[in-house]
Amino acid sequence: MKWLIGALSFFYISAASAADVDSETDARQWLGNMAQAMQSLNYDMSLVILQPGGTVEPYRWRHGVIDGKTVEHLSMLNGPGRDVVRVDNVVSYFEPNVPAFSIHSTSINGPISGTLLRNPSALTASYDFVLVGRSRVAGRATQQIRIISRDKSRYGYSLWLDQETSLPLKLDMLDSQGKVLEQVQITSVAVTVNAEESLQNVDVANLPEVLIANPAAANAHRWYAGWLPDGMEEIMRDRHRLPVTGAPVDYLLLSDGLIDVSVYVQPVGDATTGEQAFRVGSDTYFSTQIGQLTVTIVGKLPPQTANRIAQSLVVKVP
Amino acid sequence: MERVNMSQQKHEQLSAFMDGEHADQDLIKQISQDGALHGNWQRYHLVRATLRNELPPQIQLDIATSVAAALEHEPVILAPNKSRWQQLPLVGNVIPMVKNVGQLAIAASVAVAVVFAVQQYNQPVEIQPGNDGLGFGMGVQGGMSPVSLEQTQTVPVANQYELLEQRRRINALLIDHHQQMRLKQLQMQSQQGEVVELEPEQETPQQ
Repeated sequence: MKWLIGALSFFYISAASAADVDSETDARQWLGNMAQAMQSLNYDMSLVILQPGGTVEPYRWRHGVIDGKTVEHLSMLNGPGRDVVRVDNVVSYFEPNVPAFSIHSTSINGPISGTLLRNPSALTASYDFVLVGRSRVAGRATQQIRIISRDKSRYGYSLWLDQETSLPLKLDMLDSQGKVLEQVQITSVAVTVNAEESLQNVDVANLPEVLIANPAAANAHRWYAGWLPDGMEEIMRDRHRLPVTGAPVDYLLLSDGLIDVSVYVQPVGDATTGEQAFRVGSDTYFSTQIGQLTVTIVGKLPPQTANRIAQSLVVKVP
Repeated sequence: MERVNMSQQKHEQLSAFMDGEHADQDLIKQISQDGALHGNWQRYHLVRATLRNELPPQIQLDIATSVAAALEHEPVILAPNKSRWQQLPLVGNVIPMVKNVGQLAIAASVAVAVVFAVQQYNQPVEIQPGNDGLGFGMGVQGGMSPVSLEQTQTVPVANQYELLEQRRRINALLIDHHQQMRLKQLQMQSQQGEVVELEPEQETPQQ
């Protein structure tokens, strides 16, 4: 009897691990299809970003391929409005109170991470992808994929892809207890043969001037994070002044492809604040005092992880 | 041994019968004929009634026997024997009625309790002067909720000016974070060497 149970459990375990591998490969296949669809289809989506207990932001997101040029338009529908237009690798921002500007980029920094949408395989160092099941979202049959932080130091995600077109229809950000922190929900989607008319009318010649950065290396600071979550890297560092207050800060931008995390190091001012941790929308704001310095971390990461990054900061002399 | 098992089995059947789970004519016959089972039947009912708090105010333990006796007398004496009112067959009807009234009373009191509770919960919240709901948490910005970090402390803010200052500092960092996220591609290019000048007023747009 015992050998039978042993044999059965062995088969069960090997079958389960084989299924895991399958699920992982299938999930990557799905994400590959999504990346392909995002860049090749003509689509017009309406979507909302929901933060439980917070705000609802409606957007319209259009994408088209016109004469070999990709044109993308993301428009915020509430309030004074915010428009982002991308023509191939030039992204232009039109916002109230700020002069319009363009930068070179292959994706819009929108509601869903551009890396996830266009190059999901770049996230495999930080996240596991697991195929979960099928369900119905925005009136369409979808495949659900879980995106799980490998070292559990970041929030997890659930992504629903349209079975027919592979376009993303819903993205939930969840904390370790499974509580939803942010939802991107597509409410309607239309995939068309020809690009939407307004995209064809984008005045490509009159986009704002492309902004080009100066090398910040000259006055770079020497703060380094001694510990970073798996797959997270330093994207840039500089020393700049904050808007509004004009206070100078030593700045680090970290990213794992899915989330961007800002690290600010400032001298402790006359007003000591001790340690602060709270959530603004889906961003965590974490601030702590280390010696005579205030370290502030902002980003979509758990406060425990933010604390660990803050505590690991060291000065390195090259 | 066999007999013990038999009676054990019968008791179980009796118990099941009382719960309405087992009903066959044989058992009913056995109960009416076998004195021991008969006694059990009565005791079980008494126990159940006691447990359920359904005992009538006047306990007549041997109703069935008295009813049987009354019935036995009936054909002989055409008028019912009224010497003891408990012996009247009517009593059998009264007891369920008492039971029902009791149940009704319980149901009614539960309903009253529910209605009362609902009224309690639906009381309009009294608005305390000076508490307009804005003094929430650290009072930093609308829509902020403290996250569950154990070390989190609420820092007492000495005065309104300091609170505003703190709000401004936090806002500045949040705005900067979003700007940096947008500008990161730009910065990444600059690190890769495609570099020229930058107009500073465009890098930090005025709010």
